[in-house]
Amino acid sequence: MSRNGPIALTYHVLFVSFMLAPILVVCFVAFTPEGYLSFPTDRWSLRWFYAIAQYPEFISAFWRSLWLGAISSAIAVGISVPAALAIARYRFPGREAMTALFMSPLMIPHLVLGIAFLRFFTQIGLGGTFTGLVLSHIVVVIPFALRLTLASAVGLDRSIEHAAVSLGASESVVLRRITLPLVLPGLVSGWALAFINSFDEVTMTVFIAAPGTETLPVRMFLYIQDNIDPLVTSVSACVIAITVAALLVLDRAFGLERLLIGRSAGHGR
Amino acid sequence: MAFLELEKLTRSFGAHNAVDGLTLGVEKGEFVALLGPSGCGKTTTLQMIAGFVEPTSGAIRLGGKDLLAIKPAKRGLGIVFQSYALFPHMTVAENVAFGLEMQGVAAAERRTRVAETLELVGLGAFGARFPRQMSGGQQQRVALARALVIRPQVLLLDEPLSNLDAKLREGMQIELRQIQRTVGTTTILVTHDQAEAMALSDRIVVMNQGKAEQIGPPHEAYERPATPFVANFLGKTNLVNGATVRPERISFAESGLAGTVRTRIFQGNHWLYQVDTASGLVTVIRQNTGEAMPGEGDAVHLGWEGRA
Repeated sequence: MSRNGPIALTYHVLFVSFMLAPILVVCFVAFTPEGYLSFPTDRWSLRWFYAIAQYPEFISAFWRSLWLGAISSAIAVGISVPAALAIARYRFPGREAMTALFMSPLMIPHLVLGIAFLRFFTQIGLGGTFTGLVLSHIVVVIPFALRLTLASAVGLDRSIEHAAVSLGASESVVLRRITLPLVLPGLVSGWALAFINSFDEVTMTVFIAAPGTETLPVRMFLYIQDNIDPLVTSVSACVIAITVAALLVLDRAFGLERLLIGRSAGHGR
Repeated sequence: MAFLELEKLTRSFGAHNAVDGLTLGVEKGEFVALLGPSGCGKTTTLQMIAGFVEPTSGAIRLGGKDLLAIKPAKRGLGIVFQSYALFPHMTVAENVAFGLEMQGVAAAERRTRVAETLELVGLGAFGARFPRQMSGGQQQRVALARALVIRPQVLLLDEPLSNLDAKLREGMQIELRQIQRTVGTTTILVTHDQAEAMALSDRIVVMNQGKAEQIGPPHEAYERPATPFVANFLGKTNLVNGATVRPERISFAESGLAGTVRTRIFQGNHWLYQVDTASGLVTVIRQNTGEAMPGEGDAVHLGWEGRA
């Protein structure tokens, strides 16, 4: 492995600092006792962490975001698997159009999607419901789920499936015992990326969510419109802590590199 | 009637006939090689037997029954793929057991047969490993064991040794032949390597542009090639005054076709000569017996059996 020269090293340090600085500042401010955002400071307090307990809507919004991300990502992955297998394997009329359609939510500004969904959901009676949130989040996260699922479906050696068929496996057995296990790393990383995007989504959701169905980012966004105090920083610090913990667990269990870069398991050659 | 019969088998891709009216009968227990350059239709033929490609016309019969009417999963053929196509998420034993599981063989018998077959290919101690933990040659044996364990009616080998290095390939050729003789499975090998085809098979089918140019025992095809294509594909040839002569049949003589040695290459067990003659450049191969041989620039005379 070649070592970095001094210029490259400086660049890397600057780049990583630039990425990490805002996160560190937020965590830092969360531990200040002031009623406003003060930085730097030399006085420390857990006051704003205790304050979260007085705002149960933050906690319920957190759980809602978690469920919303988990459900919409799972459905998005469920839709992506047959789509990815079809796109990866067959040349059929409308194949390009289908890919473009699945990817199109990436091109459309979330602001536009938000207004469109607001109008649409109100029309069909889903305005402000959790179901509406799930449906809209599926649309937004499907490109991420499909991208990674597609990558692992394209990398699949068809002769492995042919081998299974020649040994007497029916189509459903091949799918269950061979194909799905082989694309599983792609599904897991697709789900994870979709989840992160759903959890993070605010521009569109702020239009669709109603009081009672607010997600955590929407709740925080609405809060800082009225208040400038470190409560949002302490909430952020909690989310960051949970994220770091989740990443550590995932890394131990699967290996982060494999999950996020999407290298599928066990292609031994 | 032969055990496996291909009758006027044709497969077109657009206007191009990948396989063009191929007729072939394979006897039970026979080892037949489909040999030819890439694009000659040998792999397409194999895939039609396996059921992964549908013939445009023609028939395939196995033991008198129409094979094309049977689904690929029900044909009971063992296939070894060029890429081995092992299941990467299963251990070696699970890979080999898969076919038996599909046949509904009971767990106890499955274990016995998997162990026996792994023993047969020399991998008795490797059942618990994953394919990625094994060398190319070992993965090749696992693929062979996986195909053989289901006691297939026909074993299909698709360029099985082409991913191995030269030395390993030679060893595997000998082993493959021994294993095939031991279990007696009717085998069809697809290869572009004429040495491999001749070393392994009872008969070879030399294919060119979708057609069989010659079908026969390797020795016969080598000695009496039916067409110039077969002659060239099976080994080095000289075309001298309209006659085809193998380089190893030409010797240095007292009299005969006069020429001058242009190049001489030493290859260990033999010498390879290029000799300028009045009939053009002639390639000569002589065994290395330890004796002194003509050098470059020497005047020589060439003789061979049957020379007019």
